[in-house]
Order: sequence, then structure tokens, then C-alpha cells
Amino acid sequence: MIRHHLRAQVLTGALAMLAVVPAVHAQATKPVALDRSAIPTAGKTPELHVPTWSKLALTDGAKLVVSERRNLPLVYVSINFIGGAANFEPANKAGLASFVSNMMLEGTTSRTGDQLAAAMQQLGSDVNVSIGSESGTISVFVMKDKLEPMLGILQDVLLHPSFPDSALERLRGRTLINLQQAKDRTTSIASVVFPKLLYTSGGPYGRSMTEASAKAITRTDLVKFHDDYFKPGRAEITVVGDIAPADAKRMLDKSLAAWPAGGSKPSFDYPTPPAPKSTTIYLVDKPGAAQSTFAIGEVGPPRSTPDYYALRVLNSFFGEQFQSRLNANIREQKGYSYGVASRFAYGRGPGAFRAGGDIVTAKSDSALIEFMKELRGIRGERPITDDEMQSAKNALIQSLPARFASVGSVSNSISEIYTQDLPEDYYQRFVTRVNAVTKDDVLRVANKYIDPQHLAIVIVGDRSKIEGPLAATKIAPIVYLDLNGDPITSKVTP
Amino acid sequence: MKRPISQLAAAALVAVVIPLRAGAQAAVATQSAQNGSAAITIPFERLTLPNGLTVILAQDHSTPTVAVEVLYHVGSKNEQPGRTGFAHLFEHVMFTGSGHVPYGLHDKYTEGVGGGNNGNTTNDFTQYYETIPSNYLEHALWLESDRMGWLLDALDTAKYNAQRDIVKNERRQSVDNQPYGRSDEIIKSAAYPKTNPYSWPVIGSMTDLSAASVEDVKAFFRLYYAPNNATLAITGDFDPAQTKAWITKYFGGIPRGNAIVRPTIAATHLAAEKRLVYEDRVQVPRLYLVWPTVGEDSNDQYALDVLSDVLTSSRISRLTKALVYDKQSAANLFSYQDSNENAGEFNIVITPRAPHTLTELEGDVDSLVAKLKRDGPTDDEISRSKATLQLQFLSGLESNLGKAQRLAVGQAFHGDPNRAFAVDYQKYQAVTAADVKRVANKYLGTGRVVLSIVPTGKRDQASKPSASTIVSQTPFGSKTSIVEGK
Repeated sequence: MIRHHLRAQVLTGALAMLAVVPAVHAQATKPVALDRSAIPTAGKTPELHVPTWSKLALTDGAKLVVSERRNLPLVYVSINFIGGAANFEPANKAGLASFVSNMMLEGTTSRTGDQLAAAMQQLGSDVNVSIGSESGTISVFVMKDKLEPMLGILQDVLLHPSFPDSALERLRGRTLINLQQAKDRTTSIASVVFPKLLYTSGGPYGRSMTEASAKAITRTDLVKFHDDYFKPGRAEITVVGDIAPADAKRMLDKSLAAWPAGGSKPSFDYPTPPAPKSTTIYLVDKPGAAQSTFAIGEVGPPRSTPDYYALRVLNSFFGEQFQSRLNANIREQKGYSYGVASRFAYGRGPGAFRAGGDIVTAKSDSALIEFMKELRGIRGERPITDDEMQSAKNALIQSLPARFASVGSVSNSISEIYTQDLPEDYYQRFVTRVNAVTKDDVLRVANKYIDPQHLAIVIVGDRSKIEGPLAATKIAPIVYLDLNGDPITSKVTP
Repeated sequence: MKRPISQLAAAALVAVVIPLRAGAQAAVATQSAQNGSAAITIPFERLTLPNGLTVILAQDHSTPTVAVEVLYHVGSKNEQPGRTGFAHLFEHVMFTGSGHVPYGLHDKYTEGVGGGNNGNTTNDFTQYYETIPSNYLEHALWLESDRMGWLLDALDTAKYNAQRDIVKNERRQSVDNQPYGRSDEIIKSAAYPKTNPYSWPVIGSMTDLSAASVEDVKAFFRLYYAPNNATLAITGDFDPAQTKAWITKYFGGIPRGNAIVRPTIAATHLAAEKRLVYEDRVQVPRLYLVWPTVGEDSNDQYALDVLSDVLTSSRISRLTKALVYDKQSAANLFSYQDSNENAGEFNIVITPRAPHTLTELEGDVDSLVAKLKRDGPTDDEISRSKATLQLQFLSGLESNLGKAQRLAVGQAFHGDPNRAFAVDYQKYQAVTAADVKRVANKYLGTGRVVLSIVPTGKRDQASKPSASTIVSQTPFGSKTSIVEGK
């Protein structure tokens, strides 16, 4: 149910201004002899067109790729950095990367935050900074005639942020309130507790920002992170849109002339995750919750695994498509939820496998039984059908054109190749590799990566209503955790 | 909406946004990029079938995909009291299979071939779409036409009940289990008289959802899901002659329905302020100031949108700068003009930063709004608000689906697929400081709803608590005992 906003509609919409074509009446037809049950025959599969791009380099050493897309007078520029919070945040300063990305727009050595905002608004665009777990980006999306002045602002934000103390304290105040409000939502609680159980707070994948870490961040930390992180040696710049490669290079060389060289790719060495424990239900009490949030899973493989394509096929029909096994059963047949899903997070290190969703309180036990049934089923109890294989492959391959649909999505798709260290013909190769996956491959990786004996089952919901029924399923012992994922009592056996 | 965009799945799924290049035939001309008043031209073709179905075709061959949108001009506004939530529940029924299309095939020939499908319901309309590789266009037309013409052939009680449970879960997930999730329905029921169909939420009430019968579904379908109440928009990579032949083949045999009487919506005006306080499972209180304004049928909507920009769109907007940045009494603050087809509201929503109170923030917001009403905005504030319009409109052209939806809505509401660019865009560009001052004075008066949502047991955290009425039971959810499905 999406509410209707004219403003939103207008701004995302796209319509025409042209001579109105008068309404014409199509020819009347006789609907005789139409067999409506006959499924239409699909035409020839359209060819996949992956955009091409030119590879250049800036004088400061940053890699530059430019992909021309001339249909609209738009340009998308992103400066991408290899590595992110997982590699550059001290363990006790979780959230620092997020603070830095917010603080970059709080002013430069020559502009206050307000002046920066006014200058960007006048150009009809703004600079976005985001630093994720293993990559970061600073980007602008702009009309092509405003690109050069926007690049001037981009370089100012990138190279000369002033990190004013007053802005840091304001941001900290707001962040602490956000952290407090996150404790109101069962989904936010689960997304902190689940990784903490899998990885513990020792590794970057298990950490989340806390009140303590947000309070510990100082201006010195921001300056140091900025100086260490935003280096051309680990940067890749993607430019997509209505611009020639040589023009892009000229403009960027000029605007980034003052960027000191240096920097290298991080190693992505992480501590080994703790050995998996036998399957346990971790119950977090949220009194009065109308639904229980489920997060069921375990440590999975890194992005570089040779099993990647088999896992993509598996997950497509297991927990990604609407008619996936999980959603078809738990939502469509049983009506326990508005939607359930699963995913593998991948990453440079071993990302998590996670299945779950929001389940109506009174059916928490029944839903858990079904989740476990499907998690066992995918390992062989429920045979994989030809239809599942075909729909998974089609869904993965035929959705590729959507990755090249706008200047922003083309830019993201190209940048990902460099930030994830993928081969440059990755998208072409993707088709071949997905098509090559067999049922045996899927069965093998299901047995390798989904282990019903070693799952963390996080359930955030109303303990007074769900505890008894969950215990009665005898699926696993229950451990009680607080909203931060810390144990509150010793283990209780059902 | 048929399916949620879940946090879990969102990161893993490829966004269901299909590309648009205003392609070979589509001359996109930016006449005067300097002054921001670009004219954007996308040819489309409009046909009407003898049964009343309006069809809009807009080609774009840049990517081998097509978006198919079917919009029915029926929403929660067309419901009767006691059957609220029905239009949206019906949307779910549309995904349960139809006379010649067994359940499951709809997903198989959309998502299962690399595309997607979904639907959503508003106060005013219900829309369905398929995004598909271009070689599956005929399938999409087959699927949409069969449920337009033969849905009831496949409807049974068991399927219907299952969808009703799913809708109840949707209500739990998006309203009852969301912090502040009931704010909207509390505000709407206070702002509008009970007889006004904008007074109830699209999702409806748990009680009404339980009461809706299969017979209700059938009557609703026969009246509102007729071709004469629908708009079919197709955008993307298709052959127009072949597509027209398919449209005639699949939709031509569906009979025209009866004439529809649409509700008459009287303009809403609150004579006095209504002050409410609601306790919720939240840790931080929040304040909502809401004035009844106008809908899409009024030109004042444009100046009200610009007014919202002047107040809260960026760090240098008036309320945001004064309260979030300078005084730092608010953690965040946003405003918006919500324009539905025949009614709308102007909303300001404020989250305080301790130790500042809602009472203090309400007073500060009122003074800042009073100053704006007295002096009007500066020309600079107006031009900043408009500076992003061109980029936003042009970037909207990148999505086939977005384009199909705008074509269909423009046709359904105004008989003009061009509405967003030919009318709305120009009218935004024409808004002046005097317009904004005028609408601020006209609509942001004493008659409004002031709702404080406070942590359970903390009524004293409300704005002016002694002057506020306690809302103990929301009008649509059931606070203490959620009605369970089977």
C-alpha cells in the first residue's frame, strides 16, 4: 500500500509535453475463437547489451572509467573507494565511518555548512557521501551544464572538510536519539543482535554502532579517518552520462589537481568467526509486539567463493522470488506473514546467510516449524524441480538489463566491478556461469552452507505470548537476550 | 501492496526499476536549460476500445524491456463505512489467479522470466504493473486481461481468507507494529468528518477486514474493475501494431460495466484546533501538526509544496535551520503537502531532542510559521526550491515504469496523460513568493489537528498535555487484542 503523494509522483514521474494525439477508436473485434487458456508463446530472447566504458587514469593516480549515455542531458559522477568501515574503523569506534560521511557536508575550510548547502541547491543538485562496510563513495548526479561547478564543490567536500566541533555534537545528539528509537523496532533489534551472535563484537561483521561508541568518537578520529581513507591510490572514479571521456578527464584532473597521491587497497583480512554453536533460539523480549521478527542463519561464504553462482540460483528459488519456497509456503499458503525471504550477504569476508521476516505473534511457533522444514528440505528432502531451476536462472539473467537502466544504475554496476574486484567482463560471464549451474551443484552448496544443526535463530517478539509455544516445538533450546544481544539469564531447556 | 519491500530482501534484490531512454522517436528537448524551464517531449499514442478501456502507448527501444500498467480508478475513497480496507484487500485478491490463469503463473511469467510485478492501492486508485523482458509482453497482456474479465471464475473462499490474513499481517507490519504507525489514521479521523471517505485509512480496520465477505468482493469487482474504469499504459520496447492487435485480442471481449457514481467530497475546514495525545510503545515523543488543505483538483497544491520546501527541505530551510541546527531543540523535523485527488493536508512532524519539550517546539514552530505568514518567503528561497525541479523531472524519464504510472494517473484523474509535465511542471515553475505567502495564510490557520505521540505512561510529555484529549483506542486498529486469523 503506497500512499499517493502528488509531489513524489511529479518528481519521480516522467511525462510528455507535446501535441496531444486525439483519441482514436481501435477496431471492434469479435472475441470468438480465442482460447484464453492458451499460454502465449514468448518471442526471441532479447540480447543482453552491457554498456561499454573507456578506461583512463587521472594524473594523481586515481582510476577513471567513463561510459557515455547520451539520451538525456544528465551526468552521474562517483568517486569510489575500496575498503570501508570494516577496514578503517577502530573496534571501539563503530559508527565512525557513518559520522565521517555525515560530517563531510558540514562545511569546508572555505564554506560553512549553510553556504555549502546553498551553493549545491543553486546548482539543483547535491553531493552524497556514504561509506559502507567495504567500500565508500562520494557522488554527484547533475544536469550536464552544471557539472563543472558541481565538481568544484565535490573536490572541496572531498579534500577540505572542516569537521566543526559544534556540528559533531549536533550529529552525535541526533544519532543517540536514532539509536534509542531503533530499540522500538523489532527489525532493527534483530539486525544488531543477529550479526553479533554470529561474529561476536570482535570482528567487523559483528559490530554495530552503540551509544558507547557514538559517544567515544572525537573530532581527531574524524580527521584521521578522513586523511587515511580518501586517497586516490584506492579510488576508482566512474562517470556515466552525456559526456565524452576526454572531457570527463579534463574536468576531473582540473578539479582534483590538489589531491595528494597515495593510498593502497586494504587487505580485507578478518578474524576467523567463532565456530558455530548447535542450533539455538535466541529470544529477545519486545512486550506488546504484534509481530515477531525472525532472523535465522549462520556464517556464509565470501563473495569470492567459486560456489557463488550455485548459491545465487539456490537463493533465487529458495528465498528471493515471490514464489520462492519460503514465501510461497509461509506467506501465500499459511498466511503467517506479509513476506519472508532469505539472502547471502557475501562480502570480502564470510558474510552471513539469513532467512526471516516478520511473523504474526500467534503463529511464531508454526512459522518456525515451517522455516526449519524448508531449511532441511533444500538439502535434499524436497527435490529441486526443473521449473525452480529455470525460473531462478531466468530471473537472474533476464533482470540484468535493469542494472543498466539509468545513469545512476549504470554507474553502480560498473563501480561494483572495481570495488568488488570482479573481472571486467563480469556481466557477460555472469550469464554463462548462471546457465552452467546444475541441480547437483545446488544440492551440494545447500548441504555445504545451510546446516540445520548449527543455526542461530533470533526471534524478537512478545515473550509472554511466544515463549511457551516456541519451547513446545522442541526445535532448540532458548536463550534470552536483551535488546543489545547480551544474555540476561542462563539457558533454559524447553 | 501485494508484497513488501523487506529490509532483508531489499539489499539482495535487483531493483524493479526498468530503464527508459526517451529513445529514437522520443525527442527530449531541453529548450532552455539555463532558466530551468525545459520542455520535455515524449510522443505517446492514446486509443479507446469500444468497451471503454483507455490505452496509452509510449515506445522506447533503448532497453529490451516493457512496463505494463493497469490503473483502476477506485480506491479506499469508494468504500463504505464498515467495509474499510476493502479496495486494498481486493488488490490482493487480484493476485490469486483468474479464470484461465492458474495461481502462480502470474509470477512465473514476470519475476520468473527476469521481470517483476506488484500492485498498490491509494485513497483514489488501485494500480497493477508488470515489468518484463520485451519478449514477454503478450504474456503480461494475457495476465492483466484475464483478471480484468474473469477474476470471479477462479475465486473461492479459501483463497480469499488466506489473502485476508496476509492483509491483516500487512496492517500489523506497517501500522500496528510500527512505532508511531497509527499516527496517520488518528489524524485523518480527527481532521475529516466520519462521512468523508478520506477519514479512514487505506489499510482499513481489523474489524472491517474480518467482516468483508466473498459477496462483497464480487459486487466490488463487477462495478469497479470494468474496462471503462481502467487505463492501460505500456511503455518501453514494443512493436505498436503488434501490441494493438494483442490489446484488442485480449481486452476487446471484456464487457463494459455500469456507470460509476463517484463520491462527492466537500471541502474540509476545521473551525478550531483539535488537540490529541496517544500513548505508543515508543521511547521518544513526537509531535504532528496537520492542517486540512487541498487536493490535486486545486492549483494551491503547488504553492503548498513550495511552502513545505521553504520550511524543511534542507538545512537552510526555515524550521530546520532554526530548530535542528541553531537551537538544536529538534532531532529532526519534516513537512509535506499530501495531495490526494479531492482532498489534502499540510503536515509538520517534529521529533524533539531532550531536554526540549513538545510544548516548547510547538511554540517555536508556530512563531516561525507566523513570521512567514507575515513577511512571506524571500525570492531566494523560492528559486532554491525550484532549482532541483528540472533534474528531478528529467531523472524521472529514466524509468519506464515511473513513466507508465504517470501517464496512467494523468489520464485517470485529468483525462490528460501529459499532466505531470505539461501542467504540473509548469505550474511549479510559476509559483511566486506571494503565492506561498497567500496559501500559508489561507490554510495554516487555527483549525488544525495537533497530535502528540508519547511513550506509554508519559502523557505529561505531550504538548500542552492539560489541553489535549487522550486517544485511548485507535479508531481502526485494536490496541489490546489484535484480531487473529484462522
